[in-house]
Amino acid sequence: MPRAVKGVLVECDPSIKAIILKIDEDHHHAFIVEDLDEDHLVVKEAKLAELKERLEKILEKTQMMEKDDDSDPDQPG
Amino acid sequence: MPPKRKGAIAGFAGSSAATASSKRTKPAAPVDDDSSDDYSTDSASEIEDLAPPEGAVRTKKALDKATVNAVVNRFTLDSPAVTAAPAVRTRDSVSHLFNKHDFAYLHMKPDHASRPLWINPENGIIVLESFSPLAAKAQDFLTTIAEPMSRPTFLHEYKLTPHSLYAAVSVGLDPRDIISVIDRFSKIPVPEKIIQFITNCTGSYGKVKLVLKDNRYFVESNDPAMLQRLLQDPIIGPARIQGGDAGSGVIKESAPKMGALVIPGTKNAAGTAQLGGAAAAAEKKAAATAAEDVFASVTGLGDNDQDDEDEDEDAVHSFEIPSGEVEKVQKQCLDLGYPVLEEYDFRNDRKNSNLDIDLKPQAQIRSYQEKSLSKMFGNGRAKSGIIVLPCGAGKTLVGITAACTIKKSVVVLATSSMSVVQWRQEFIKWSNINPEQIAIFTSDNKDKFRGDAGIIVSTYSMVTNGRNRSHDSKKMMDFLQSREWGLLILDEVHVVPASIFRQVVTSIATHSKLGLTATLLREDDKITDLNFLIGPKLYEANWMELADQGHIAKVQCAEVWCPMTPEFYSEYLREPDQRKKVLHYIMNPRKFQAAQFLIDYHEKRGDKIIVFSDNVYALKAYALKLQKAFIYGETPQSERLKILENFQLNDKVNTIFLSKIGDTSLDLPEATCLIQISSHYGSRRQEAQRLGRILRAKRRNDEGFNAFFYSLVSKDTQEMFYSSKRQAFLVDQGYAFKVITHLSGIENLPGLAYSTLAERKELLAEVMLQNSDAGAEEGDDFDGAKNLSYNANMKKRGAKYKRSMGRLAGVSGGDGMAGPLVWRMLLDARV
Repeated sequence: MPRAVKGVLVECDPSIKAIILKIDEDHHHAFIVEDLDEDHLVVKEAKLAELKERLEKILEKTQMMEKDDDSDPDQPG
Repeated sequence: MPPKRKGAIAGFAGSSAATASSKRTKPAAPVDDDSSDDYSTDSASEIEDLAPPEGAVRTKKALDKATVNAVVNRFTLDSPAVTAAPAVRTRDSVSHLFNKHDFAYLHMKPDHASRPLWINPENGIIVLESFSPLAAKAQDFLTTIAEPMSRPTFLHEYKLTPHSLYAAVSVGLDPRDIISVIDRFSKIPVPEKIIQFITNCTGSYGKVKLVLKDNRYFVESNDPAMLQRLLQDPIIGPARIQGGDAGSGVIKESAPKMGALVIPGTKNAAGTAQLGGAAAAAEKKAAATAAEDVFASVTGLGDNDQDDEDEDEDAVHSFEIPSGEVEKVQKQCLDLGYPVLEEYDFRNDRKNSNLDIDLKPQAQIRSYQEKSLSKMFGNGRAKSGIIVLPCGAGKTLVGITAACTIKKSVVVLATSSMSVVQWRQEFIKWSNINPEQIAIFTSDNKDKFRGDAGIIVSTYSMVTNGRNRSHDSKKMMDFLQSREWGLLILDEVHVVPASIFRQVVTSIATHSKLGLTATLLREDDKITDLNFLIGPKLYEANWMELADQGHIAKVQCAEVWCPMTPEFYSEYLREPDQRKKVLHYIMNPRKFQAAQFLIDYHEKRGDKIIVFSDNVYALKAYALKLQKAFIYGETPQSERLKILENFQLNDKVNTIFLSKIGDTSLDLPEATCLIQISSHYGSRRQEAQRLGRILRAKRRNDEGFNAFFYSLVSKDTQEMFYSSKRQAFLVDQGYAFKVITHLSGIENLPGLAYSTLAERKELLAEVMLQNSDAGAEEGDDFDGAKNLSYNANMKKRGAKYKRSMGRLAGVSGGDGMAGPLVWRMLLDARV
C-alpha cells in the first residue's frame, strides 16, 4: 500500500545541503524524505522547525570558531 | 563651560579663511566681539586658569602622596582621580540607542561645521573628518600627539595615549599648545577630562632624561626639584655617584640645542653644502626643526610662547649614576610615573671614535623619511624609538641616514641572513662607507671590520643564541659586547619577542636604538614592552598618503569567496581533527580553480604573480598541479636563488609559490600580483607583511597601474572568520577589500582543473589520506629564527577582534552586494 508523507521542498546552497545531510545522518534519518539534486531536497514538514534550529546552531559554530580556538592549546602554529 | 567657548571661537576666526567666511555667513552665535583676534594670548591665559601650572600640580601631588597607585591612576582616563566633566545628561527619545556613548550633552561650537575634530571625552579617541579643508593641517598635528588607529577614506580615528603625548613632548611641543590647538580644531570645547589627561601625562613624561656622556650615565632634568625628588627615593638616591663638589650633587649646565646638526640628505643638508660651511645660516635653518614647523603653521603662536620659556629651559640639571644601576633606576622612575627618556649626545661624544660615513650625494631622502628622522634628532641629540613605515617605503634608507647622522659604530640586527646581506649592500649603495668597514656576522661569516669604528650587520638569532657557539662566533660576540656602539638598528621589530630584545639590549652597550617596522602590531600585547625596551613610536606614516604620492604602489584588494564543493564540505563537517579540517578548506577544488583562473588571467596581462600558502602540503599540491616553481623552508639556498632570479629576469617564469618564508624581507620589486591561498589564522600582521611584497612594485608609477592582492577564502568555513580578522589592519590603513563571489569566465577556462566530479572525488580521497600533520603550517622561518611570536599569537585574541569585526562590516561592505558587482564590472571591462 502506498504511504504518503507530507514534505517541504527545500532549496539551498550545496554547502548548506551538506550540513542538512549531516544533521539527518546524525539523527537516524529523521528529517529528509528525498534527496533530489545538488541544491534541492524534500524535508518532513513536521520536522522543519527543528531542522532550522539545528542548522542555525551549526552555522553559528562553523563561522564563529573563536571560543573553541581559545580554549584549545593544541592549535597548530 | 561658557568661558572656554568664547576664547576658542574668537581665536579661530582670525586664523583661517574658511572659518572667517563661515563666520560671516552664519547668524552670529554668541561670540564675544571684544576679545581680540589674537588667539594665543586669549586662550593661553584661559587654559592656565583651568589647569594650574603643571609644575605646581606635579610637585604637590608627587611629594604629598607618592604611592605608585596614585601615579598610575593619573595616566588612565577611567581613573577616579580625573574628575568627570560636570555634565548634565538629558535624555531624549534616541538616548537608549547610544547607552553610555550619548554625548548629546556636549555643546557644539556655533561654527562647528568648519572644524574637523570630534573628541570622545571618555576614552580620548579623536575622530577626524578627513574631507574637511582643515584636515591636512589637523592630521599633521594629530600624528604628532596621538596614535593613528584607523584611517579609511572619510573618518580617521586617533587616540590620545600617554605614549603618544610623551612622544609629542619629546619633539618639543608644550602641553598648553597641544590643548589650544585641539581646541581650535574641535567641534566641541575640549572636555575638562581630556585637558587634565594631557597635562597629567605631559607634566611628568619626558621630564627626566637619561644621557650617556663620555660613557657616564647622567640623569638629567630641566627641573631641579624633580631631581631632588628622585634623589630622596630609597632606590635611586643611593645609586647616585657623589660628585666632587659635594653639595646637592646636582650639576647644572646649559641645555643642548638643535644647533648646527644637519640630517644628511635633507634640504638643510643641501643648503649647508652650497654655503660651503656658512655655519651661521645653516644653524638658523636647522633650528627651525620640522616638528616646530608643523606646529607653528598650525598654531601661529609657537614663537612668542617659546621665547618666554627659553630662559627657564636653558639650564639642565643632572646627577650621575653608575652604568650597572641604569636599569634599576629606569624601572624605579617608571614606577614613580616619570619614565626616563634616553638621549644620546653623539656630537659631544669624544670617547668613541667617529665613523667616516655620509650619504652619497645622489641619495635624496623623501619628505616622510625626513619627517621621521627629524623626530629622532629633534633637539640635536639622538632619541631612541621606533619608526613605522610601510613595507617598500624605504625603511632601510631611514636606518642608513640615521647612521650617517650619528657617525659612530653601528650594529644592525635583521631577521634573516638574507636580509643581512641586503642591509650591507644597501649601506654600500647609499653611503660612502668603505666596504671593509662594514662586516657581517652570521653563521657563515664572522669577520670584524677594520679600524676603530665600523658597522656590523647580524641577525637576532646570532646575537641571542647563547648555547652551542663556535669558537669564532664566541670571539665575535665578545667583540660585540666589549665595546660601545653609537646606534643599534633593529629591523622588523615586530617579529621578535620582548625577551629576545631584553637580551639584546642588555648585552650590547649602545647609546641609542632605532626600531624599524611596517606593522607595529601583534596579536599578543607585547608591543607595549617595546615602548620601554626601545623607545616610543616616533613616527607612523599614512599608507594611503604614500600611495597617492607614488612612493608605494596602489593596491586593489579583493577577497574571493570560493564555495565548498558538496563532497568536500560534508567531509569538512564530519572531520573531527581540527588540523585536517584546515586541509579540507585549503584544498577545496573550487579554490584551486579560482587560483588557476586568476594566475592565468594575470599572466596574460603581463603581471608577475606570487602565490602564498602557509600550508606546505597545499603549496606543493597546487604548484605541482599547475607546474609552477615553489620555494618553502626545505628548499636549499642555491635553488631558492635560482628560482628567484628566474622570476625576476625570465619572462617564461611569471608565477612562483612561496610558503611563509617569503612573508618578510624578501625583496621582489617585479611582483605585481599576489594570491593568498592559505594563511596563518587571524594574523593581521601577516596580511600586512604579505601586502608589502607588492607595495614596492617597480612599475608602480606607470599610469593607471594597480597591483592586485587576492585572498582566496572557502565559503561557510572558519576561514571566512579568520579572513575578516586578518583584514582589520589593512582596513584601518584605508584599504578597502572588495568581495568577489564569482569570477566571470571561470567555467570557460581551458584545462580547468577538477572540473569533473570524478577528479574532485579523487582529490578528496587524497586529502583524506593525509595525516593531520599535513594540515599544520611550516614550522620555521627563513633563518631558522623560529616564529617565536606566532605561538603567542594564538592566545589572547577574543575581545580585540570583536571590535574589528564590527567595524569591518561597516567599512569594507563585507557582506554588502556592491563590492562583487563593481568588481565584476572591473574585470569585464579589462577582458
